[in-house]
Amino acid sequence: MNQVIELLKQLRQAAVEKGLKALITYHEEDSYLMRFANSAISLNTNEHLISLDFIAFDGNKKVSYSMIADPSDIKSMEKGLDILAEMLPHAQPLSYDPTFPVYQKDVVDERSYDPALAALTNEERLAYFNTLAEGLENDDVRLSGIFSNGVTTTAQISTANEHTQYFRSTDAQVTAVLSSESLKWEVNAEQSAQKKSDLDAQGLHDDLTLLVHHYTQDQSVQLPVGKYTVVLGPAATAELTNSMTMYGMNGAALKQGYSFLKEENMGELLFSEKVSLSDDPREAEIFGEKADRFGLERKPFPLISEGRFQTFMWDQDSADEFDQEPTGHDVNHASLVMEGGEKALGSLKELLEMPRDEDILYVPYIHYMNVVNPTQGMVTGSSRFGALYLKKDGSVQVPYNVRLTQKFSDFFGERLQWLSQEQVAYNVSSSYGRRNPTALKVPRFLCVKEIEVSHSNPSY
Amino acid sequence: MKDSIRKLIDQLHAKGAHYVDARWYPHEDSNFLFMWNGNLKENNASSQSGLGVRVLYNGAWGFSASSDLSNLGAIFEKAFDNARIASERVTFPIRLAEKEAIVGSFESPNEIDPFTIGLDEKVAFLKKMDAALDQPGVVQRISVVEFVRKQIIFMDSEGSDIEKNIIEVFPSIHAMGVDKDGGMQRLKYLPGRTGPTRGWESIDEADFLKNADRLVSDLNQLLVAEDAPNGKMSVILLPGIMFLQTHETIGHALELDRILGYELSFAGGSFVRLEDFGKLRYGSEKLTARANALEPNSPGSFGYDDDGVPAQDNLLIDKGILVGAITGRQMVEEANAKARKQIFDGSSGANRATSFYRVPIERMTNINIDPGTDGNLEDIVAKTERGLVLDGDKSWSIGSNREQFHFACDIGWLVEDGQKKQMVKNPTYRGETLPFYNSLTGVGDESTWHVHYVENCGKGAPNQIMQLGHGVPICRFDNVQVGE
Repeated sequence: MNQVIELLKQLRQAAVEKGLKALITYHEEDSYLMRFANSAISLNTNEHLISLDFIAFDGNKKVSYSMIADPSDIKSMEKGLDILAEMLPHAQPLSYDPTFPVYQKDVVDERSYDPALAALTNEERLAYFNTLAEGLENDDVRLSGIFSNGVTTTAQISTANEHTQYFRSTDAQVTAVLSSESLKWEVNAEQSAQKKSDLDAQGLHDDLTLLVHHYTQDQSVQLPVGKYTVVLGPAATAELTNSMTMYGMNGAALKQGYSFLKEENMGELLFSEKVSLSDDPREAEIFGEKADRFGLERKPFPLISEGRFQTFMWDQDSADEFDQEPTGHDVNHASLVMEGGEKALGSLKELLEMPRDEDILYVPYIHYMNVVNPTQGMVTGSSRFGALYLKKDGSVQVPYNVRLTQKFSDFFGERLQWLSQEQVAYNVSSSYGRRNPTALKVPRFLCVKEIEVSHSNPSY
Repeated sequence: MKDSIRKLIDQLHAKGAHYVDARWYPHEDSNFLFMWNGNLKENNASSQSGLGVRVLYNGAWGFSASSDLSNLGAIFEKAFDNARIASERVTFPIRLAEKEAIVGSFESPNEIDPFTIGLDEKVAFLKKMDAALDQPGVVQRISVVEFVRKQIIFMDSEGSDIEKNIIEVFPSIHAMGVDKDGGMQRLKYLPGRTGPTRGWESIDEADFLKNADRLVSDLNQLLVAEDAPNGKMSVILLPGIMFLQTHETIGHALELDRILGYELSFAGGSFVRLEDFGKLRYGSEKLTARANALEPNSPGSFGYDDDGVPAQDNLLIDKGILVGAITGRQMVEEANAKARKQIFDGSSGANRATSFYRVPIERMTNINIDPGTDGNLEDIVAKTERGLVLDGDKSWSIGSNREQFHFACDIGWLVEDGQKKQMVKNPTYRGETLPFYNSLTGVGDESTWHVHYVENCGKGAPNQIMQLGHGVPICRFDNVQVGE
């Protein structure tokens, strides 16, 4: 930590000497990714990258410069400040005054950092995959997947004073896929980890064993299009929740006309009373951080309380532009938590064994979800990775992938039947660009009726 | 620096590495300017430099990259160690297709380096676009320019030594308004690549101003338009959506790593099987598609790929029959071995990495549809009984094996009895890939064809964003489900 803080103070001093009013952000990632395909390690990679972001302010002017830096070359880092100084006079004034961050205290947050996960070796990553796949592969059923883990360090300083903010976290994201080369079915098991002790290869092995059993033993079917009672798995629920929050509850999206929610909706019962959703930075497991980039303390922030939409999240720049109070959401990721419900279901096995009085379509994962119409909150995507059709007579069928095109309110509104008590962390980190560990905590299962299947594949 | 890299490549080769390559980016600069309703919300410059090393050892890849160049040897050693561990789980030992070791260079064609243009001039362009869009009916205006300049040095243990200097320019304008039902409608203009170069000079201000007026006019009609219909009918796809149709259901479906199952844990596979090459009827006889990395003005043209293989122009689909794929050196060897016959005659030169810190994978170049003989839009509409003319990519969702898809478009027009009628809003269509392409009944001529660039194609784990292009004509497909 000291080295990072020292570097920031050195760069701050250089900025002050150049007469710049600036925010300097440090990002370091030490990333490891073991990728599997066709039952082999198809790629074993690591990247160690240090990035710096500089933002310079001058009244209502603002410019930024980013660089992937060579830490041994301080001169090239300082050149970034020179470039900012060159750009600033040519910047176009904004119609509002952007806030310049003035940190009131030092912040150090390493709650999400686990030295044991940080030190994970190549051998351990390989052993984990060997365990989860043990006995499940053959000439036709092949293993794919990723074991991605790393350490992410971010830190900030502004030229206003010498206070710094420092955050460090470890994360792992595991996806294991077993697929039939001849039939093209795919099942998967996933895990999000923040510390080494979260890693549970045997648990993934058990999930895969169960799914492979059904995919090899049970009848496959092309479901007729129409309405189904659907149980979503954590991947599907997390993806929908993340997307709904991003499009619906973000102040910038509201002002830009892309939210399906309006300001007058605040306080209204728009969702099922069973749904409570918040951004909770107290949760280290989902990489909560104590402060945002402008030094605002982050606190639990209710978005939906027992079905009532509460309010929008405002990052600093949007708050400045639209004359709103910032809500501590100038962050790389929120830490969303959807509360569990009353259904005591802790595993897929229990879901399969649950007595049922109707047919249920289990959709663990929604592939390639996209927003068809943001102002209607309409999304579409296809089932993938281990969908099952649980017949009310107790039998199980394997459905070919189906397409669901529905509104967020269809999933989280009055059609919602129940949520499982148990919640799980699901990692939704994008590996585009910089490492940014992001996870949601969601109920393991969510049941919703009358979900329309608009297209059904005729085969795998 | 190059001498040090060469020495380290040779050292690892001598230590038992079957193959080693290194990509050194002395610099990659970008400049992103984003104006929203007159406010220059993003005024960002960025730079990066570093080294990525790939090692093939005992049939397995290891890769390592760093921006810290103070200890080059450590990057090579880490890549070697990563390969050593990977070689403990090998099912098909990686082999690389033959290639010639090339000592050469590539410069993307441009007359004016956009990094020599002052910020004032760039901002002035955006302000002019913003003013042009600032008209009644428009509630949100966006003008964007992005410039990229990179130098890449590629060296490998087979003797290749290639330098690439590439410049890209990505301008666009967008206009948004609230329709009569309270929905946000958005129209955009990304210029087709018509000139021979891709520098600052490729931004044609007069063309942008003309299209800004067109956008505003179309938007105001769209704001009072009715919803697109639901049902089965013909769709006539203009290049603004045909490029994406091609991208998602020909381009990605024909990436050989997807076909061989190397993307199953993330992006997905492909419905195409090795035995399909040479005989699968992918589309009607009107469909001829190619991967042409030689288009001079497109980001899908790069001289040499990141295996050091020269860029090429290869047929993918010939009069409806599947004949080729998007390939790199590794995958063609594996495909030929698995198929127990020679399907692919060497790499098609399409293995690319987005940056020094990512490993090269099969990426689209310029996946183009050849122009046809069915005339222009008016000619195609005249032969259409009932349908929709569609343009603009609004949303896209594709099945994991690229076997089916759902697209929403920015704008549509009804076609009835050979006449283009009123505009409609919120059009969507969906289909299954093979039946869809087999329902291709009209392909526009050369006058309807242009190269549409894509600056944000995502693939791989860790994920990579790639730039490429699609040269496509207007196409008509019959009996398509619309409106869901």
